Amino acid sequence: MSKKDTYDMFEMNGETDKKKKKMKKKEKLEGMKKEMDIDDHEITIEELEMRYNTSVTKGLTTTFACQILERDGPNELKPPKGTPEYVKFARQLAGGLQCLMWVAAVICFIAFGIELARGNLTSFDNLYLAITLIAVVVVTGCFGYYQEFKSTNIIASFKNLVPQQATVIRDGQKNQINANQLVVGDLVEIKGGDRVPADIRIITAQSCKVDNSSLTGESEPQTRTPEYTHESPLETRNVAFFSTTCLEGTSYATHTNINISLIQEQCFSHCILCSPGIATGMIINTGDRTIIGRIASLASGVGNEKTPIAIEIEHFVDIIAGLAIFFGFTFFVVAMFIGYAFLEAMIFFMAIVVAYVPEGLLATVTVCLSLTAKRLARKNCVVKNLEAVETLGSTSVICSDKTGTLTQNRMTVAHLWFDNYIHAADTTEDQSGQSFDQSSETWRFLGRVAALCNRATFRPDQEGVPIPKRLVVGDASETALLKFTELTIGNIPDYRNRFKKLVEVPFNSTNKFQLSIHELEDPLDLRYLLVMKGAPERILERCSTILIKGQELPLDDQWKESFQTAYMDLGGLGERVLGFCHLYLNEKEYPRGFRFDADEMNFTTSGLCFAGLISMIDPPRATVPDAVMKCRTAGIRVIMVTGDHPITARAIAANVGIISEGSETVEDIAQRKRIPVEQVNKREARACVISGGQLKDMSSDDLDEALRNHPEMVFARTSPQQKLIIVESCQRLGSIVAVTGDGVNDSPALKKADIGVAMGIAGSDAAKNAADMILLDDNFASIVTGVEQGRLIFDNLKKSIAYTLTKNIPELTPYLIYITVSVPLPLGCITILFIELATDIFPSVSLAYEKAESDIMHLKPRNPRRDRLVNEALAVYSYFQIGAIQSFAGFTDYFTAMAQEGWFPLLCVGLRSQWEDVHLQDLQDSYGQEWTFSQRLYQEYTCYTVFFVSIEICQISDVLIRKTRRLSVFQQGFFRNRVLVSAIVFQLCLGNLLCYCPGMPNIFNFMPIRVQWWFVPVPYGILIFVYDEIRKLGVRRYPGSWWDQELYY
Amino acid sequence: MATLKEKRTCGQRCEDFGHFVWNSDNGTLMGRTPEKWVYISLYYVAFYVVMTGLFSLAIWVLMYTLCPYAPDYQDRLKSPGVMVWPDTYGEEDVEITYNTSDKASWMKMANILHSFLKPYNDTMQTECNRYNCTQGKYFIQNTFSAPHHTKWACPFKQSMLGQCSGLEDPTFGYNSTMPCVIIKMNRIINFLPSNHTNHPPYVNCTILEGQNNVDKIEYFPERGIMDLSYFPYYGKLAQPTYANPLVAVRFNLVREKQAKIQCRAVSDKISYENIHDPYEGKVVFYLKAVK
Repeated sequence: MSKKDTYDMFEMNGETDKKKKKMKKKEKLEGMKKEMDIDDHEITIEELEMRYNTSVTKGLTTTFACQILERDGPNELKPPKGTPEYVKFARQLAGGLQCLMWVAAVICFIAFGIELARGNLTSFDNLYLAITLIAVVVVTGCFGYYQEFKSTNIIASFKNLVPQQATVIRDGQKNQINANQLVVGDLVEIKGGDRVPADIRIITAQSCKVDNSSLTGESEPQTRTPEYTHESPLETRNVAFFSTTCLEGTSYATHTNINISLIQEQCFSHCILCSPGIATGMIINTGDRTIIGRIASLASGVGNEKTPIAIEIEHFVDIIAGLAIFFGFTFFVVAMFIGYAFLEAMIFFMAIVVAYVPEGLLATVTVCLSLTAKRLARKNCVVKNLEAVETLGSTSVICSDKTGTLTQNRMTVAHLWFDNYIHAADTTEDQSGQSFDQSSETWRFLGRVAALCNRATFRPDQEGVPIPKRLVVGDASETALLKFTELTIGNIPDYRNRFKKLVEVPFNSTNKFQLSIHELEDPLDLRYLLVMKGAPERILERCSTILIKGQELPLDDQWKESFQTAYMDLGGLGERVLGFCHLYLNEKEYPRGFRFDADEMNFTTSGLCFAGLISMIDPPRATVPDAVMKCRTAGIRVIMVTGDHPITARAIAANVGIISEGSETVEDIAQRKRIPVEQVNKREARACVISGGQLKDMSSDDLDEALRNHPEMVFARTSPQQKLIIVESCQRLGSIVAVTGDGVNDSPALKKADIGVAMGIAGSDAAKNAADMILLDDNFASIVTGVEQGRLIFDNLKKSIAYTLTKNIPELTPYLIYITVSVPLPLGCITILFIELATDIFPSVSLAYEKAESDIMHLKPRNPRRDRLVNEALAVYSYFQIGAIQSFAGFTDYFTAMAQEGWFPLLCVGLRSQWEDVHLQDLQDSYGQEWTFSQRLYQEYTCYTVFFVSIEICQISDVLIRKTRRLSVFQQGFFRNRVLVSAIVFQLCLGNLLCYCPGMPNIFNFMPIRVQWWFVPVPYGILIFVYDEIRKLGVRRYPGSWWDQELYY
Repeated sequence: MATLKEKRTCGQRCEDFGHFVWNSDNGTLMGRTPEKWVYISLYYVAFYVVMTGLFSLAIWVLMYTLCPYAPDYQDRLKSPGVMVWPDTYGEEDVEITYNTSDKASWMKMANILHSFLKPYNDTMQTECNRYNCTQGKYFIQNTFSAPHHTKWACPFKQSMLGQCSGLEDPTFGYNSTMPCVIIKMNRIINFLPSNHTNHPPYVNCTILEGQNNVDKIEYFPERGIMDLSYFPYYGKLAQPTYANPLVAVRFNLVREKQAKIQCRAVSDKISYENIHDPYEGKVVFYLKAVK
């Protein structure tokens, strides 16, 4: 880790105040430096032995190691301090809506207390209400907690259960032990392909290289030797760091654009069999005290941000609370004016405020979100936090990794050049693409070289596995070639047997080629065949002829020229190019039985015949270009952030559409116009490739500027710390950023992002801990599915909320009329709770299953400042129009039920005090009949039921109109949403059950009402439907008009 | 997102709110220009005028379909309620407690009964209910034969309560230990208390607690009968002068002079066992005389 990187890493804590920032940074930097201030790499081995009471030959004694283990704890990264379970649960109880409900419950208790103090023992409604409110909060809290718990479990199941092994020398004995048992002072042995088990001081090393990319993002393998070369522990060569990978010393360096990180990633699984670079070292730091441990702990320093949906819900709670207090206060004043006592008016005020609380909404939102989370899980996205579902929908920028996310993470032959023509190979995952023309004679020879000059072999017993998926022993390029030849030629092991291999010279970095000599297939042909592959320019140097259409032609300048063009072309595609050539060795010079010597090279390696070029790349996943296109139409920027070489990065970006066809970078324009780069107008360039090196020299303003100017951005050769800077810059520009990542070092960026997406397969535990969402298949396309679902749920939540809010008014108006006009109470508290928490829950949840009205992936991401979940239009339309119609429906039905039982509307007005007089047993109705109190009470229950039925009928109409916000319901399809249809049926059944189940009157105050009263509100239902259709028609016909502005929500 | 998260001070919030109330940049008042406010207000006025109109129409149609003489349904009035007078309540139950030596106390009871019996004044009844009813038979009237398109109602005169009528003893016995209570059964349109014409409904009082404290129970009229000719009731419009038949009961309190009494209107169609309505078909009250 360079100093610069350390510097970068702290920029995330930056405040806007520059001075402060600088101060802080300095302090922190100083702190970090101090922490790094170890001298274990400086002192001599002997001193080191002294310090740790160990020996470089025998290692620690087992007993002493145990003591240290006890002192220091196991050698593993402690998972970031998990939130205690009770805090997690408490968090579920403390959201915006939850707070509203807590307040309401407290108000209810107060109101109940006042009633009690006044000696009114009959009214327990307030107590029930308070208990219900608390119950709702707790139950939904449990539900949310359970959801979180479940997804945490899914994530936990991904943890690598196989413990890493390490070779340790203790008591002079070599042992294999679990890496987490290692302690400071232990002597360990690492070989190529191993992960370094802790921070170690190298004592001996043979061509040992480490891949520090997970630490610094630097993808060049770095040599590790016992020599002390630099005072900084991060720079010196004699320290290897925890979790970095030890590589074999050899690797192809065949092309300047070689994709080294790819080799490393591939090597990880294959290198074990390569000739290992062995090193021994002494552990100087373990567990969280290692460098990587310190970086991982930084992730916890990045605060958790509020999710957009949480902000939306808070905004919504503000609206509700405002309206509730406004209404409550208004009617408090009215009640005082009418002449109620202060205390009574106060109770009215409380009741109104409480009545405004949408009890059912919390459940609806929770259920809707978890439904979507479930749907996402089926599509390979596991959401840790329910609210993250929606965040994904508001995403406007995705910062994506390349390897494994956008690409398949396996080298594949992409192009071949022979017969002076570039042939494209099939790179699809399932080999469904077009193959090239294999009829040429040249291909036969080229294929033969590729198959023979190859040390990779398939692991045994893989007959049933499709070729691209088979496990191979060998490095990435050879694997690619093996699979390629297996696909084109077929049965390579048998093929190789036919050409018996006599000698082989493996690849090394000085000669940059690999060759082998074989007997020929035909037993009569006694010549030997020399096949060679390697860096194209080196191969060409050794060739004197070239195969064209099976003919050997002299390799003149013209062919060299075309070779050069092809080489450049393939290189420009970001591909790794290898040259292939062969030679039939002269029978006389090399007769049968000639002893070829690989070390001496007692045979000719020049005057060969050039067969062709084969280029390889880690190809993009098949679904990715489509997904990127979808993002583009959806107004989401996809930014590639990779550790790869810029050219490869750019090639893949162009391939998947992150850089679209025809987009140019500043450099391209400069080249086209033949002007210096500085003179190019930066705004002209749509695309931009910035490498980590350039990024280091940019100020944050420069970066903002670049992000603003170039819509298509690729960041190459970036360190994971720089990822954080990119994320911050995007956020400064007002975007909601999704970030993918897998390494430990990505965790700060994942945490900082509005939604961190960790990879399920490749991701480290730290990344998964920091992320909000996990892609089980590591596939970029899954993110797009997530975005689509997130947007859908935002739209559908809007509909659900509109539906849920509407009935608030018909629940409230009865009370208001009861206070002001003194009619017998039309709707009781328990009935309201039944509407909120029983009958209307299912329909409001069913709206979550509604299909999108238009292609939501063709719209821009919502502007979190303008497109609110609940806006004024929604609230006003729901409350004062649809809600008003519903109230009228309820009162019509109420007056009908009253009048038909003997109480005319005018008599009802002002009747309240007599009606509620417990001691009055002969109150006369409009017909002169006399009613006892109980008879009146049951009549009141009848009214409750009738009002309930009216709200239900209107809500059926309401749920139908809420299916769409703009389209006609007929366009959307009445019965398309099966869940909604069944929800309506359920609602009606439940309504009937409540009304007609025996015993209901005395338990829940529902009366078996006359059938015709179900039909009184029907005209109002139709009115709601027609009115909303008219509204939608106007909105569709006259977009942007006054109508659209006022009535579209 | 960063833009959303900036922490704002209270001053800024107030400023924002001020900006919301009056935004001079685009001349909006609370988010709308005054012109737009006029439009939206007009729209809402129109909306509510139309809705009120529709509501009024609905109520008018409702009233139009209602029969003025009898309600469409009597779902809650399957059986009439019964109440006792004086209707003085204690905590929860009817408690008729008086002090024989305290004039104010027993006068209160007597006054309640006097005012209760005012409509039953003999002269008034003879005047407004001139019809001579046939006793012991339901007075079924299918036509509006009485003047002003009404139906006849049978007179119930105060004097029919005999010794409890308050005519002979204006104290209704409350100055002594022989108080009268009056039992009234609620009227229900078209309600016939019995299927058998030879069994008229009658009031029967039983002592629930303190059996020994009540010496004698007397009913006025005879046997506590409510004559069948008072049934059925045809409603306020058809029988504006209808008077409920009453039954007065006189208890002779002895010893502790208190009792819990249940008076029940007995008839085969009057139910009295509804636990949810203590006043259906019966009334329970405490009677207590203090010295």
